[in-house]
Amino acid sequence: MGKFLIRRLAEMILTLFLIATATFFLLEAVPGDPLSERADKLSPTVKENLYKKYGLDKPMMERYALTMKGICVGDFGESFVYAGQTVGGLIHDRLPVSARLGLQQVTLGVVVGLLLGILAAVKRGTIADYLVIALSVLLISVPHLIFGLLLQKVFAGNLQWFPTIGWPAGKDLWFGGWEYTVLPTLTGCFTYIATYARLLKTSMLDVINQDYVLTAESKGLSRARIIRKHILRNSFIPVITQLPMSIAMCITGSFFIESIFSIPGIGQYYVTAVNNQDLSIIMGETVILAAMYIIVLFITDLLYVAIDPRISMTGKSR
Amino acid sequence: MSEQKPILEVKNLRVSYHTYAGEVKSVRGVTFSLNKGEALAIVGESGCGKSVTAKSIMGLIKAPQGEIKKDSEILYNGTNILNYDKKQWKNYKGGECAIIFQDALASLNPTMRVGKQIMENLMGHKNMTKKEAQKEAVEMLRLVGIPEPEKRVRQYPHEFSGGMRQRVMIAIAFACDPKILICDEPTTALDVTIQGQILDIIKGLQRKNGTSVIMITHDLGVVANIAQRIAVMYSGVIVESGTCEDIFYRPRHPYTWALIQSVPRLDLENKQELATIPGTPPDLLNPPAGCPFCTRCSYCMPICKEEMPEATDFGNGHAASCWLHHPMAPKVEMPVLKGGE
Repeated sequence: MGKFLIRRLAEMILTLFLIATATFFLLEAVPGDPLSERADKLSPTVKENLYKKYGLDKPMMERYALTMKGICVGDFGESFVYAGQTVGGLIHDRLPVSARLGLQQVTLGVVVGLLLGILAAVKRGTIADYLVIALSVLLISVPHLIFGLLLQKVFAGNLQWFPTIGWPAGKDLWFGGWEYTVLPTLTGCFTYIATYARLLKTSMLDVINQDYVLTAESKGLSRARIIRKHILRNSFIPVITQLPMSIAMCITGSFFIESIFSIPGIGQYYVTAVNNQDLSIIMGETVILAAMYIIVLFITDLLYVAIDPRISMTGKSR
Repeated sequence: MSEQKPILEVKNLRVSYHTYAGEVKSVRGVTFSLNKGEALAIVGESGCGKSVTAKSIMGLIKAPQGEIKKDSEILYNGTNILNYDKKQWKNYKGGECAIIFQDALASLNPTMRVGKQIMENLMGHKNMTKKEAQKEAVEMLRLVGIPEPEKRVRQYPHEFSGGMRQRVMIAIAFACDPKILICDEPTTALDVTIQGQILDIIKGLQRKNGTSVIMITHDLGVVANIAQRIAVMYSGVIVESGTCEDIFYRPRHPYTWALIQSVPRLDLENKQELATIPGTPPDLLNPPAGCPFCTRCSYCMPICKEEMPEATDFGNGHAASCWLHHPMAPKVEMPVLKGGE
C-alpha cells in the first residue's frame, strides 16, 4: 500500500510537470505577447521598462526556469493585464462561485439522471423508456448555449421569474441570491441528466440479465426488493466511478454558462485570460485545475478499491 | 413405490421464445409427473429445452420474450401454478419450490454477504426476525458442510471456492424446506470429486426432508447416482421416460441408445474411440413435423420424417415415442457395444 501511494504520488507530480511544460511552450508558440497591444503606442524607453518589469525581456529558457520555480513554491506571478491581480486572489474570489454553481448542477443532474435511468431500465421497452432515451439524446447533443438562451427567453424574458444574467454581489457566497443560480444550474445540469440516465440504464440492463437476479426472483422476493437490493446496488459501480470526474469537472466551471449568464466564475475568466494572452494567469489556472483533476482521479482509484472488495482480492474488475 | 397422488404434474407444457429470427419453440409439449420424495432426472443435450422446462416450473419465464402457451398446465398439488396470482407466486417461489443453478458464482449476488442472501429467503417466507434468520443462516451453512459458518456468513461470494459456493446455493434453496427442489445442472461447473460431494449433500437433505427433486443434467453418471426415474428429452419433447433401471438396462428409443453408448466406459478396449451421435439437433425455429431425431437416427423409416410418433407404453411407467414400436415396424434390438462386457 505504501509503495503504491509513493508511486502514484510520483506519477501525479510528473503529470503536473508535463502539463506545465506543455502549457508554457504552447503559449510561447503563440505569436505576439500580452504587452504588445499596449506597448505599441508607447515610447521605446517606456516599452523597454514595461517588458523588464514583467520579465519578458529575458530569453525563453530563463523564463521557463523562473516559471517552473514559481510553480514549485506556489507563486504564479501577477496578471499581465490587470495590475495587482494574482492567481491566488483569483482562486479565492472566483473559484467558490464556479464551485457552487457546479455542485448545484451536478447534484440536480445526477439525482434526476439516476431516477430517469432507473425508470428507463425498469420500464424497458415501454413509452417511458423511449422518452428517457430520446430526452437524453436531445440533452447531450444540443449545446449549452442553446438551452441557456432558451431558458433566458422563457423564464427571464417572458415569465420574468428569474433574473436574466448576473450574480449577487457581496451576498453570502454559498447560499445567498439563489434566484440568480436557477437558470445557470438548469442549463448546466442537462448534460449530467443525460449522461447519468444512460449510464445507469445500461448498467442496470446488464445486471438484470445476471443469474443472481434470477436467483433473487426464485426466492419469491418482491420486485421492489429485487430492484433495490440486487439490481441497483450492483448497477451503481460504474456510476461511482464516473461521479468524482463529474465533480472535478463541475468545480472548475463552464466557460459557456458563465459567459451566457455573466457569472464571475473561474471558467469565464480562464477564457478571458487566454484571449488576453495573460501568461501567468493561464499558467496558474491550468496548473491548479490540472492538479484538482489529478487528485480527484487518485481519490476515484482509492474509492474503487474500497467499494468493490473483489478488486483488491482478485486483482480484476468484473 | 405405491400409487400416490403426484406432487407436481406437468401437462403438455409448451414454451416459446420470441427472438428477432422468429419464434423458437424451446419446449414442445412436455408431460411428466413427480411423486412426493422422488428424484426425477431430465437428461438431454444442450438446447433440448430442459432448462426452459425447469424455469417454467419455477415461474421464471419472462414475458415478452418468453411465452408459456395457453393450454400448458403445471399442477402443484392439483392447482395450476400458471394461474397463480402475485401473492401465491411469492409464496410458491422459494417457499414451496426452489432452484439451484449451474454457475454458483454467477448465481450469487457479488455485493451481498452470503448470510444475507440466505436470510432474505428466510425472512420472506418464515416471518423470522433478523436475529432468528441470522442464526438459521449459520445453521444452514453448517448443514451443507461449510466449516466455520459463523465466520463465513459474513463473507462475500468471491471469498468462497466453487464447491463452497454451490453449497451456499443449496443452503439458500433448502432454507425454507421446499417441497420441490429443481437442480439445473448443479454439478456441471465443478470437478468430479466436488461433484460427488455436492450430490451427496443434495441426496442427504432430500432424504431428510422428503423433498421431491428434479435433476436436470446431461451427465448420465449424475443421473445414476441420484435419480429413481428418468425422462430423456430431445429437441423440446420427452422421447423416453421410465425408471432408472428401465432406461439404463432396457432402453427403447434410438436416441437413448445413442446417449448411453456415448458415455465413456472403463471396461472397453483402451484404443476404442468414444461413440458419438453424428449430426446436430434440429433448428427449433422451424421444428420438423416428424420425429426430431430422424435425421440422426440409424433406423429412420419414411414415416419418421412425416409424423411425430405416439408414446408406446411398456408398463411400469416406461414409455418411448418411436415408430419402431409400432406393430408394423421391423424388430430392432439395441446394438451392443463392440468389445464390451
